[in-house]
Amino acid sequence: MSEHQQSTEEIKKVDQYLDSGFKIKYVYENLSGMFVEFARQEEVILMQILTADARKYFSAKLQEQTLLQ
Amino acid sequence: MADLRIDLAGIKSPNPFWLASAPPTNSGYQVQRAFEAGWGGAVWKTLGDPILNVSSRFAAVSFNGQRVAGFNNIELITDRPLEVNLKEIYETKKRFPDHAIIASLMVEPKQEKWHEIVKRVEDVGVDGLELNFGCPHGMAERGMGSASGQVPELVEKQTYWVKEAAKTPVIVKLTPNITDITVTAEAATRGGADAISMINTINSLAGVDLDTWNTVPHVAGKGAHGGYCGPAVKPIALNMVAECARNPLINVPISGIGGISNWQDAAEFILMGATGVQVCTAAMHHGFSIVEDMIDGLGNYLDDKGIASVMDLVGRSVSRYSNWGDLDLNYKIVAEINNDVCINCNKCHIACEDTSHQCIDLYTEDGRPMLKVREEDCVGCNLCSIVCPAEGAITMVERPSTVPPMTWNERQTLISSLSK
Repeated sequence: MSEHQQSTEEIKKVDQYLDSGFKIKYVYENLSGMFVEFARQEEVILMQILTADARKYFSAKLQEQTLLQ
Repeated sequence: MADLRIDLAGIKSPNPFWLASAPPTNSGYQVQRAFEAGWGGAVWKTLGDPILNVSSRFAAVSFNGQRVAGFNNIELITDRPLEVNLKEIYETKKRFPDHAIIASLMVEPKQEKWHEIVKRVEDVGVDGLELNFGCPHGMAERGMGSASGQVPELVEKQTYWVKEAAKTPVIVKLTPNITDITVTAEAATRGGADAISMINTINSLAGVDLDTWNTVPHVAGKGAHGGYCGPAVKPIALNMVAECARNPLINVPISGIGGISNWQDAAEFILMGATGVQVCTAAMHHGFSIVEDMIDGLGNYLDDKGIASVMDLVGRSVSRYSNWGDLDLNYKIVAEINNDVCINCNKCHIACEDTSHQCIDLYTEDGRPMLKVREEDCVGCNLCSIVCPAEGAITMVERPSTVPPMTWNERQTLISSLSK
């Protein structure tokens, strides 16, 4: 899979979580990329974001969420 | 034509083009010929206790047919007695009262030494002083030049001593042989400098002769590091000028030096904060007459831009120079190949495939070889357009971002608010 395809899939996944009511709860980064906890009431999902483009996209979404709060 | 006169910390000259302190400004004969050719000012070759030079002093680095892409020297300051230089400065100033003559000075880091030379030099009517805290070879081994210029406390103290005695503006010339030139620039400012100039030459060894194994240049089979200048150092100098220009603690004018070879180079330094420029290597390579094109070129450029005075150009690009962390991560450009102009050398494909992001595809259309950029994989690195020999074949074009601008610093602030 090309990096572009990979980032497209990761972006799609971020959108899916946010569109289905999940909120970004925690974010941390390490040598393996970015780890995001999405939470919807008691439900928590951990997502690892690997690609640079998806990490940039996620940052924009986090900004959106912060502005809406 | 636009007004090319400058005023650098009170030093006025008919244009921003000065000869730097170096072999071209060794004598009254040379400086007067330079003024006749059109140079607006000259920084006299550094005065101090007369030195002894060695034979075999210069070397150049040529690259792909470009002669003197870089230039290396192991020549020291003036080897003539002070009285001889002062007499010629006096005569030159008398003949060219409207041109700027700045005396470059270098003495031991002692208050009385600085006071003495400042007084003697100002008595013959120089327009300003330039303190040589930059020469990296020879004099540095004796505690002067860059040896002084690498120690912020010494820069500040010696500047202060000079200012105690000086009646004319004091320019402090800085060495690039230091991790962060803004530290010594700030020290000069604290010491009371009226202006700073940069860069002096960079420590260098031009080469090694593969037949004799001697250094280039060598003196009877031995070499020593010299100072590197010429076109190759321009980007280093331009960055240092820009870093000082955008530093709020360095609020004095800048005289830009380093690889300036034509009016375009000069305009770039002026845009990045230099009030004027100093030139050496280009004059040594092509002679004093290069200043004619510099004057015409800069004047025409200002006219085309509708700018009445070169002083109005000073620093116009400084606010565009920032920290990496303040750049927009979401700004996007991609390469676009015009196959009608492309000569199918495939250098872009090879460069991208081997050393970048593998996003230029080769294909054929009606039997004709073609190249196409896969935009989704292009990171906008510019490499293909840099290596392309066919003007206009590759253009970097902006693509609208789907998300708003965000810098690395903004992103980190955002993320830290949700970090565990």
